[in-house]
Amino acid sequence: MKARLQEIQTLAPAIKRLSLAPENGGEFPAASAGAHIIVEIPGPRRVWKNAYSLVSAPDERRRYEIIVRRVAHSRGGSAWLHDHAAPGQGVEIGMPVNLFPVAATAKKHLLLSAGIGLTPFLSYLPVLKAANAVFELHHCCRLSEVDAFRALLPAGEKIALHTSRNTLDLAALLNTQKLHTHLYVCGPEEFMDMAVASARKLGWPEAKIHRESFGGATGGAPFRVKLARSGLELQVKEDESLLEVLEAAGQSPPNLCRGGACGVCELPVLEGLPEHRDHFLSEQKRAANTAIMSCVSRSITPELVLDF
Amino acid sequence: MNISLKPAETFRGDFSTRNSDAAILRFPFPFPEDAYMYGVNIEPHLRGGPSAAYDAVFDIDEHYIGECQDRALTLIDDPARCQVLPHMAAAEWDTLELLMESLSTDYPDLFQLTKKGDAWRWVNHPLGIDQSFTFGNPETLPYPPFEYITRQVQGDFTLQDQRDNNLFMDGGMVTSQADWSLNFDLGMSFHEWHGPVPLAHELAVFDRALQYLLRLQLGKPVRRLNWTLTVNPRLDTSPENYPLWGPDKATVTPENVGAKMCLRVELQTLTRLGRSNAILFGIRGYLIRLEELVRVKKFAKRMHRVLRDLHPEIVDYKGMTRYRQTILDYLAPFDDGAVLSSGTAADQASL
Amino acid sequence: MGMNKSRPVYDKLRIDPAGRAHLIVTDLAAVPEDAVQEDLALSNAECWVVGLSAPGVAIETSGNLRAFRAVADLLGHLSHRLEREPVGLRLYAAGSEAFLWDVMNLARQAGLTEDEVFLTQAGTLRRRVYCSHCKTMNENVATNIVICQGCGASLFVRDHFSRRLAAFMGVKVDAEVPGEVPEIEALYP
Repeated sequence: MKARLQEIQTLAPAIKRLSLAPENGGEFPAASAGAHIIVEIPGPRRVWKNAYSLVSAPDERRRYEIIVRRVAHSRGGSAWLHDHAAPGQGVEIGMPVNLFPVAATAKKHLLLSAGIGLTPFLSYLPVLKAANAVFELHHCCRLSEVDAFRALLPAGEKIALHTSRNTLDLAALLNTQKLHTHLYVCGPEEFMDMAVASARKLGWPEAKIHRESFGGATGGAPFRVKLARSGLELQVKEDESLLEVLEAAGQSPPNLCRGGACGVCELPVLEGLPEHRDHFLSEQKRAANTAIMSCVSRSITPELVLDF
Repeated sequence: MNISLKPAETFRGDFSTRNSDAAILRFPFPFPEDAYMYGVNIEPHLRGGPSAAYDAVFDIDEHYIGECQDRALTLIDDPARCQVLPHMAAAEWDTLELLMESLSTDYPDLFQLTKKGDAWRWVNHPLGIDQSFTFGNPETLPYPPFEYITRQVQGDFTLQDQRDNNLFMDGGMVTSQADWSLNFDLGMSFHEWHGPVPLAHELAVFDRALQYLLRLQLGKPVRRLNWTLTVNPRLDTSPENYPLWGPDKATVTPENVGAKMCLRVELQTLTRLGRSNAILFGIRGYLIRLEELVRVKKFAKRMHRVLRDLHPEIVDYKGMTRYRQTILDYLAPFDDGAVLSSGTAADQASL
Repeated sequence: MGMNKSRPVYDKLRIDPAGRAHLIVTDLAAVPEDAVQEDLALSNAECWVVGLSAPGVAIETSGNLRAFRAVADLLGHLSHRLEREPVGLRLYAAGSEAFLWDVMNLARQAGLTEDEVFLTQAGTLRRRVYCSHCKTMNENVATNIVICQGCGASLFVRDHFSRRLAAFMGVKVDAEVPGEVPEIEALYP
């Protein structure tokens, strides 16, 4: 969809909120709480396609809002948005996709986030409030950013901010939840891994643990990829993904979420050892090394040969 | 789009419904080849296709008024034909929004929608409805939102909640079904509600279809066709009322098979909904008597071949064992063995 | 518990090591040995049974075992318990198919998901049958065709099961030619 940047607001030194409107007036499609959009960011030498959670209320069809953290070691997309995006600019965005929805059958929602991981929960709050749902939000962040995050959140005893000054006792929080509670976790990979592991240890079942694929490390060692069907040989550089390289070479690889979660971008591997960074493949499939998720995964060996 | 709406016709009792020539020519014939077997057979639901039935997102045809009236009668008799589980409230409004926007875009002479923020006004000329209401507030509509709008659209609809890597049929308006019960199937998962279908499980059709549908995107609806045979152009062939329509099946004779035996085709659409992230499953039914169908030469010949070579388990599951031979005897004289084009287009512009 | 089509397939009871607390319920007087895996350590799980007792005689409770007078009583207590229970419980049910799914529906209402509830069929294999025509539930059906207690129709029991209704689908067997009812087979005497 064609959109136009309406407003850019600086929330903190490295955090900006961008608001987008439909290019030709009218309305965007209504999105669901937890949805994200792919934003095509036109850089000087390349186009980035980054996923950002919608932070605006799902019912708001005249504007979509996203919050972008300028990532120090990013592949460039967020840096470009911070340094070069300006109101009035045209931007191509994808339709909202939701891999982190609110569980409609849950009777209580326990929301746990860290840093920029708060963003999907900002779209949850108006929906949970309108439905009179029972929920609690615990957000962990650096002391230097707590004011910026507080400004984004409504006041209320169900919302707690944690910093080094008032740390979160996760085990106590998880242990006192009644069994009709669902847990939602969003933040850096290590944070989510820790929270999910704690929940599992206390007997939380998988169906009640929801995590968003968000803000993980991107980029890595460069590698070669050979496409068996065409014989084409390509180079994947440190700051680009296999998917992006295939697209730039005009190959039309399948893809959807661009975040390692949905499974659409799976490609068969004939030779080489993939470095799996996705959340889709099973343990067996990973061990077999016969498939790779092109949007996030890389290579352990200097070369991969794909049946593509 | 220009349609001549029939003012009144029945799909029960005296079965006064008839297809005009235009309706016969636009009929969504389900067989692209001379043989039929199950497959995932999903394609993008874009405006346009082998016949005019594919031109709109939700097709309205000459039977609109009669079908809405038939639905209203069925609901008086059995309100359990429309049920939505409580957690699907957002999906109800998504459906209302989608149908109102689609109908008013595709048929601007018949339907108009005006919005001022949350204050909406919906005008349905064929049914004489002029309704102002507040979007999101169920108190401002005479029926719950899903029921309200589906009473004004042809075809059945179900709401699928997506959770735990599965789809659950958590709501529906089902008054023109081919022998399945909403009250029984409500709440079932994808594989459960498809339980009774033979063969397809072995072919892993449902595993692949489910994986595909879980990734269904907003703005990219898909469609497929399903078909069966019905005696008399009866919309309500529900299990609930099987004692009413069951006896019809034993009344088919060589003399009346052309008039009584109907091909029943479902143009099924699957659309991702916005706020709820649920999937709306539309089951748009079309009925055509054999004597109407055979006026399209390609349809007559292909119909004969498909039924002649149909897998026995499918014959049995679609309930046509009793009269299959009578149908074949009726169709055989139309089939000269000529090679037919692939695809479902009629290949003739007039009858 | 595997799922094939709509008809559930049941595994033997096995304690889920990921759970923090375990509760077994059955509509029988005791959990049958052949309903459980051999290495099952029942001792640290709570167990609720439906025990026979004369009116006025106290129901025995000892250690982890609790006996109820009837299934309805057990289900009432279960609902009450689940409302107050913290996350981490695993619930196991053994008994007739209708009992299993009544437990599951109650558990789902209370907020439990399918990976926290384990069902094993034990005791009678008789089926609960839902009449599609009058919506009456026919209990303990041993045959493939049953006369509906609500409307009198001869119902063929289809191989189609609703977990929500905890029943099989019954449809009039002689709708097409009234009176032409096939031979009734005793499936679960």
